[in-house]
Amino acid sequence: MATNRWLATGNFFTSYKEEQRIFLTNIDRLCLWLLIAALYAWPFFVETSNKGMLVLDNILIAMVAILGLNLVTGFAGLISIGHAAFVGVGAYTTALIASGLGTDHVFLTHAWPVVIVLSGMVGAIFGGIVGLPALRLKHLYLAIATLSFQMIFQWVINFSKLFNQGQTMSVGRVFWLTGKVGRKDHYLFWYFAVLTIVVISGFLVRNLLRTRYGRCLVAVRDNDRAADAMGMHPGFTKVYAFALAGFFAGIAGSLHCYLYRGAGIESFTLHQSISYLAMAIVGGLGTLSGSFFGPAAIRLLDLGVENLSSWSSTFLPSTMNIATALRPLTFGLVIVLFLMFEPRGIANWWRIIKSYFKLWPFKY
Amino acid sequence: MRKMLMVTTIGLMAACFAVTTAQAETYKLAISLAITGPTSDAGAPYAKGVEDYVKYANDEKILGDDEIEVLIRDDQYKTDVTKRNFEEFLDEGIPIYLNYSTGSTLALKKDFEEEKIATIPASFHAGNLVDSNYIFLPIQSYSNQVIALSEYVVNNNKGGVPKVAMFIHPSAFGRGPVEDTKGAVEAGLKMDIIEVVEHGKDLDTTATLQRLMSKGVQYIICHTVQSPVAVLLKDAERLGIIASSFGEEGKITFLGAHYTGGNDLIDLAPTASANFYWTTGYTLTSEPGPGTDLQLMIAKKYGRDDKTANSHNYTNGMMVTQVAIETMRRAKAHGKEINKATLYDELNAMNGDNAYDPLTTTGPVTFSKDDHEGVDKLQIYRVTDGVFKSVGEPFIPKYAVKK
Repeated sequence: MATNRWLATGNFFTSYKEEQRIFLTNIDRLCLWLLIAALYAWPFFVETSNKGMLVLDNILIAMVAILGLNLVTGFAGLISIGHAAFVGVGAYTTALIASGLGTDHVFLTHAWPVVIVLSGMVGAIFGGIVGLPALRLKHLYLAIATLSFQMIFQWVINFSKLFNQGQTMSVGRVFWLTGKVGRKDHYLFWYFAVLTIVVISGFLVRNLLRTRYGRCLVAVRDNDRAADAMGMHPGFTKVYAFALAGFFAGIAGSLHCYLYRGAGIESFTLHQSISYLAMAIVGGLGTLSGSFFGPAAIRLLDLGVENLSSWSSTFLPSTMNIATALRPLTFGLVIVLFLMFEPRGIANWWRIIKSYFKLWPFKY
Repeated sequence: MRKMLMVTTIGLMAACFAVTTAQAETYKLAISLAITGPTSDAGAPYAKGVEDYVKYANDEKILGDDEIEVLIRDDQYKTDVTKRNFEEFLDEGIPIYLNYSTGSTLALKKDFEEEKIATIPASFHAGNLVDSNYIFLPIQSYSNQVIALSEYVVNNNKGGVPKVAMFIHPSAFGRGPVEDTKGAVEAGLKMDIIEVVEHGKDLDTTATLQRLMSKGVQYIICHTVQSPVAVLLKDAERLGIIASSFGEEGKITFLGAHYTGGNDLIDLAPTASANFYWTTGYTLTSEPGPGTDLQLMIAKKYGRDDKTANSHNYTNGMMVTQVAIETMRRAKAHGKEINKATLYDELNAMNGDNAYDPLTTTGPVTFSKDDHEGVDKLQIYRVTDGVFKSVGEPFIPKYAVKK
């Protein structure tokens, strides 16, 4: 490794340990810490509406969910078409605690970090169970198994009185050191809470990928028989990949439930699962940074198309219903374009930009 | 002296002008609904009804010099988006809110309570009123609509206890009236509910119809949206089992609650919808009257096409706006400031001599602290010669439930 870690312009590793560093250069480290500091600081300087904050909170929650999906689909190579159902498991765990103890029970309103972790753990259990078919199934067959879980989840929620037949199950407002978090601060509070979880989750995943277990995921994805021959356990690896994905999804679900102050089935449908998959693809499958870029890109695209649909419906003839078609059309088009022209996702653009500045002002 | 008088007069006039200008206020009225996406066939004309009546109220100076600004946002029938729109509206300082779907009304119920904001949704789900003080249904709930149809069946069935099946939407919206109708049967409404069918996205209901026929079902009461009902009716027509007169023996008579009917149903099933019985609390342009004249005049004035002008969803949107603006007018007339609290009070006082007749409904709008269902009277309509025609007079269902 270069002695000056501020100005390293190439990869000069002399050991595997060096290659597994979280930050390859000090510039990387500095930039990330500055970014995190900026993300925490900007709300104190820029006034944002509740609507704007809600959009940001949604993006951050999707990032937590996509961190999980990227582990199972991106790093372990196991297609999951039921990720929204895992998110739903987390949300409904929180909602069930609320309906069991009362929407304003102290456990739910004061010990909310515990509830969030608990929901993540329930998500992990379901992830592990759904991952069991991965011991025998691969590729499309496994995808169908996860799709089945999505269908079963929707059916159970829609028809079970325990889950209020898919109608919203409410959750009360939480408390913080300053007291009850009211409407005025609700979205700002959850911005900080979710941002903290995103940062912690990001470091957790980054560290996981440096460990034996993380490398197992990639090895099993690339060739599970070779991984088996090298002494890894492909079956166990696949199951824990699903469990990890379920854990992050469960946490995202619980956050969603707290943010929206309730859980309803329409946030956890197959359509949402496909949206999550699109976020992972557009962000960049098998990359950590892709888990952050994808949700931001798709959610902002959604918002843009939503505004475009709304605006165009004012002058397009309603009988043609073109405005209704705009969103699925744009959504599909973006996925197809990325798959065709940039299958490595936005994360690859980020890699190119970073490489450019690493060498700048030199060309080589 | 003359100069001084002139200066004083000009000064007074300027002061009056300044006062008048300062007093003219703009109040915001907001709605989030599905203009695109699922149910936009109902949401789009509904939005136009809201928009046009606000324009009309401003043009006619219903609030004097004060103006109403309407904020209409498309939520594509997604609760998450509705929530976002609602937050935006609150930041805009709306004193009253118009919502749309059952799902979002239930999801935002707690917010309405916390914000203490009166809300009039397009959903007539009885569950909206449970544990709620701020939701006001424009007309009778779906439950009471289905009970009204059940009562009509019981009162007009010839011989024996009528055998009824319910054909419902597989959601909270669809399931809502089932328990209440069963409750009415337990309370003395003499009919047998043979089966409750939750439809999926089936494009063929032949098997369902044959099963119901084999069970001796005489009446099917639908509570869903138009398209599944159109599929059901067309299959029934193909099987030759649609009753040509009410309760015809060996055939099935079809009936439906508010969102099953309207001109869209006739467009979807032109011949099969003949003799379909429908109930709602709105007047229809196929039965002209002062309310429909007003509706058609407004639609024409603001350049709407015939389909929109004659849509009961357009009427629906107009009516909720009429009620919202009427509360503003009354608050103003009583010398009150127009805000969330005063509009809420005005809505609750809308009863007795203060009941409001918007003309677009089959009876006056009455609300009170204990009654948040606006129009109590329901009208039965029947498809005759390709249009909905009134059957009898509007009535209040005897077994109506109050939440």
